[in-house]
Amino acid sequence: MKLRYERPYLKKMNVGVMNKFGSRSDFQPVKFIDGVSVKSLTDKYGSPVFVLSERQIRKNYQSAVRSFNTRYPKVQFAWSYKTNYINAVCNVFHQEGSWAEVVSGFEYHKAIGNGVAGNHIIFNGPEKKEADLKLAIENDSLIHIDHFEELYKLIDICEALNKKPRVAIRVNMDTGIYPLWDRFGFNYENGQAWNAILKIVGLGKMQLVGLHCHIGTFMLSTSAYAIATSKLCDLAMKCKNQLQNPIEYLDLGGGFPSTNTLKGSYLPGVDTVPPIDDFAEAITTTILGYGFQQNELPMLILETGRALIDDAGYLLGSVIANKQLSDGRRATILNFGVNLLFTSFWYDHHISPAQDFTHYTEETILYGPMCMNIDVIRESINLPLLSPGDLVVVHKVGAYNMTQWMQFISTRPAVVLIDETGQTHEIRQAETLKYMEIPESVPVHLQHKK
Amino acid sequence: MINNLKGQKAVKELVTSVLHSYSVVFFSQNKVFGFLLLVVSFLNVNAGIAGLACVVFSLTLVHLLGYQKENIRMGLYSFNSLLLGIGFGSFFQLNPSFWIWITAACFFVVILTIVITSLLGKYGLPVLTIPFIFTFWIVLLAVNGFATMGLQQINSVLLNEMQNTKPESITGLINYFQSVKVPYYFDLFFRSLSAILFQNSVFCGMIMSVGLFLHSRITFTLMVLGFTVACVFNSLTGTYLNEISYYHLGSNLMMVSTAIGGFFLIPSVRSYVWAIIAVPMTILLINALTNLLGIPNLPIFSMPFCIVTLSLLYFFMLRINPGKLALTPFQHYSPEVNLYQFLNGKERLHDLNYLRLNLPFMGSWTVSQGYNGDITHKGEWAKALDFVVKDELGHTFISSGSNCEHYYCFNKPVLACADGIIEDVVDHVDDNEINVLNTAQNWGNSVVIKHIGGLYSKVSHLKKASIKVNVGDFIKQGELIGLCGNSGRSPEPHLHFQTQLAPYVGSKTFEYPMAYFVSTQPNSVPKFNNFCVPEEGTIVQAPVINGSLKKAFSFQPGYSATVKSNTGQEEVWEVFTDALNQSYIYSLTSGATAYFVNNGTVFYFTSFYGSQNSLLYLFYQSAYKVIFSSKSYVKACDQFPLHLSSNKVELWVHDIVAPFYQFIKQKFVSECTYEQAGFMIKSEECKELFGRSTQVMSATIHVKENAIKSFSVSSKGKEINLIWCSES
Repeated sequence: MKLRYERPYLKKMNVGVMNKFGSRSDFQPVKFIDGVSVKSLTDKYGSPVFVLSERQIRKNYQSAVRSFNTRYPKVQFAWSYKTNYINAVCNVFHQEGSWAEVVSGFEYHKAIGNGVAGNHIIFNGPEKKEADLKLAIENDSLIHIDHFEELYKLIDICEALNKKPRVAIRVNMDTGIYPLWDRFGFNYENGQAWNAILKIVGLGKMQLVGLHCHIGTFMLSTSAYAIATSKLCDLAMKCKNQLQNPIEYLDLGGGFPSTNTLKGSYLPGVDTVPPIDDFAEAITTTILGYGFQQNELPMLILETGRALIDDAGYLLGSVIANKQLSDGRRATILNFGVNLLFTSFWYDHHISPAQDFTHYTEETILYGPMCMNIDVIRESINLPLLSPGDLVVVHKVGAYNMTQWMQFISTRPAVVLIDETGQTHEIRQAETLKYMEIPESVPVHLQHKK
Repeated sequence: MINNLKGQKAVKELVTSVLHSYSVVFFSQNKVFGFLLLVVSFLNVNAGIAGLACVVFSLTLVHLLGYQKENIRMGLYSFNSLLLGIGFGSFFQLNPSFWIWITAACFFVVILTIVITSLLGKYGLPVLTIPFIFTFWIVLLAVNGFATMGLQQINSVLLNEMQNTKPESITGLINYFQSVKVPYYFDLFFRSLSAILFQNSVFCGMIMSVGLFLHSRITFTLMVLGFTVACVFNSLTGTYLNEISYYHLGSNLMMVSTAIGGFFLIPSVRSYVWAIIAVPMTILLINALTNLLGIPNLPIFSMPFCIVTLSLLYFFMLRINPGKLALTPFQHYSPEVNLYQFLNGKERLHDLNYLRLNLPFMGSWTVSQGYNGDITHKGEWAKALDFVVKDELGHTFISSGSNCEHYYCFNKPVLACADGIIEDVVDHVDDNEINVLNTAQNWGNSVVIKHIGGLYSKVSHLKKASIKVNVGDFIKQGELIGLCGNSGRSPEPHLHFQTQLAPYVGSKTFEYPMAYFVSTQPNSVPKFNNFCVPEEGTIVQAPVINGSLKKAFSFQPGYSATVKSNTGQEEVWEVFTDALNQSYIYSLTSGATAYFVNNGTVFYFTSFYGSQNSLLYLFYQSAYKVIFSSKSYVKACDQFPLHLSSNKVELWVHDIVAPFYQFIKQKFVSECTYEQAGFMIKSEECKELFGRSTQVMSATIHVKENAIKSFSVSSKGKEINLIWCSES
């Protein structure tokens, strides 16, 4: 067989203490995703392209549900739309039995469009427009109140509509983690939350059915959830005992981490991130041990997003060029950048080549194709020697990228779903210039003359 | 005004009691039948007057003395007086001393009725006509000994044979009927029937037959059966050279086959066979007693019927394993209702037969070994269930599976399947390594719970030191017992669950169903199960209960509601519980009653009494069974008892063959779905005639804010909308 050409390389001699963990350099190429070859995917749908595995999504969902519902009798997941609101993705979750958790009128309408029953939509977020609130009330959705202004607005709307919507308040609290997320909802410690509860129950214009918190994102501590749960339980118990207003559900929000490696962490995410089982254990034992009557246990709602989809998403791309930087470091330019891989600001993404290579590796910087200095995918990564045109696979990109990606400098690529039988479906087409210009209009005096 | 109303009510009550006193002689509560009997009793005017007088007298007496109202209303304390009165009127001439002695005898018969009813009641036996027989014997003995005491017998032959009574007053029309030539056996049948009321009249027998048929087709059939069998026996054995006495044929032989074949037993092939067997036994007794009582010169009346019926009943009651020949569990005074309620109840009233057991865990678990499993569920320990948690690939563990912690079920909460008291706890056995068996401590860490009614449940192989309960603790259904582990004879973590009749950890198993669970076979839609045993290989989980629906149907005693229909009808309903702690909705307006059960998972009606024009009947029909779950796969399927069927002619034909074969089925199905800010329950009733199904009723119930707001029923092309306003 003809030997494959690889460029020559130089390796810096490391002196001093060896890395005691002896990190692996024997890479395995990732040539297939769910049995579909990477090459065929880029050939058919172009490069770069996002790929999602339906099998993995369902597996994640069922596994998370199993973790919770074998520990607690009433559990409901609500798919966090902002994590990934491509309709096909949402519908996989809805098929599995998940409700919808939305944070804007835009997302609310998306959920309705996906056929989610009004009473299965949780409406969160600091900005809810009056028209959206009215629609949510008409649809019997669960409205999670974020601040007093919204509470007063809702009271006005209720009076005008003569309806009694089902609401919850979002509570923020000190769970011993830093930073404290106190910008959303009503604070527990300073009594604001109880104050809001008193107002809602006292006025009787709305039914207070739930309590909601969302203590942070990519939480690595399970004990924080135990603290949050116990504080919500405390409020729920007070609602029942002091206000005779039993709480129907506790919404612990999201925040469970995926197994991505956060920037700056010493060990890879797979080794440091607690499994969902541990969070489930912390949350459910707290509620079960809090002293609710068996038949009065509140329903537990979870708005898990990232942990359910991150590892089901892949970004396939190609090498544009290799470079040597002024200080001698190697750099590789890829055809996708931070415009598509927003999460590269947060994670050291695991990236694999998609073709065979020798065992030699080299430390490289991975740049995107933007003519912007910040367009760095990985500041330092050991990779086999890649040639222009070689394909790479970025792992665990299912969460937030397909909602926070930017149409910056170039358009956004296609998103492909591999179903459980191995069939591929283009669930979002690559954007075109024409598509991008649909909302634009050029005043006559600025139009170019033909 | 109020007094007036009270008076009207009292008169109505009295009339009802009087009519029931007549019809209950034939084990009926049919007022039309009672009225017909009342009328024909006046064919012998003296007997009619005396009978009615005795009934009214004894009803007044027991009412004033304050005996149980329901029994008074049903005529149970006065039908013996009726027979006494009719007997008196038939045997003695009306004169002043007649009225003196009949009053005395009437006191006596009432006392005997009350006393013997209570004595026999302790054994669950009926009083039958024993008080009447004893009283009349006493009267006759008294009359014979003391030169008549002023009582003059009409005809002494009657006393001995009771077959030659001639109706005293016969109008022309009746004369015509009397002279009508009817075939011999028809003549015999009608006369025998009339002899039960001490008459000898084809006309009377005809009227009684009509009433009897109106009341019950099964009773009528059994009368004919008893009659036929008696005649066949007679012709085969030649016991009576000429003919059987009308009285014995009617009061003893035909009555015994009715009582055994269809009243005290649920009508079936078996009960009919016993009805046939009872006939020769009764003939034997008739002859024996006739000889015996010939000495003091007393007629035997219906004593053979009483002896045979009571001894057979007690004989059946003493069975340990009753099998298919069933005694009537609750008497509805109609063989048809008894039969249809019994058949219906057998299929649906599991709440009365079983303790409601829930699955002893949360979430979806797989039955890894079912009843009579191949691995360890054998012999006396065959009726046990093993559960594990599996993932979508069918694996029970993650990673390598070399460690207990890798197993999904390990460390998961184990719950109490029902309320009970902790009987035994073992909590010290170490959890095994994977694939290691601890056969020395076979059951590992276990908890035995003692439930009501002598049932015990046991969970085994729990995690060491995870058990949260102590011996003697009271535990409620669904409370945490401990955690799933791998102790004892357990190669990998799993939960062993069994029910048993003894309190020990090693007791043998006893088959017992789980009340409600949802099961999923691979690649199929989930199925809602009630009262069955989960099968090996299925994935089972507790049904998801919708709190709003559950609250809407939780009718506590004292709950009341006003229901208004668009047809202008309005009824006030209230919920009560009876002495047997059964709940029912009672319509204060129409008097209709609907018994129901609400066990937290399902609401269902068990029976309905009263007018089918009542609005309550519409609710009974539309909410016959409702499962508190809005999952699309949960459908409540059920069957109505047939006696409430609207097509009476069709039903009457069905009644005759019903003890052997039922060709009509009234099926019910309901499901709950979400609708704007609430839930909607859609139900329908279909009639299946020889397997051909037609919809006869469809209904919708709307639930909002945890309460029923309205419902609508459409049947026979009419739609009725009803508004529901609850007051509590």
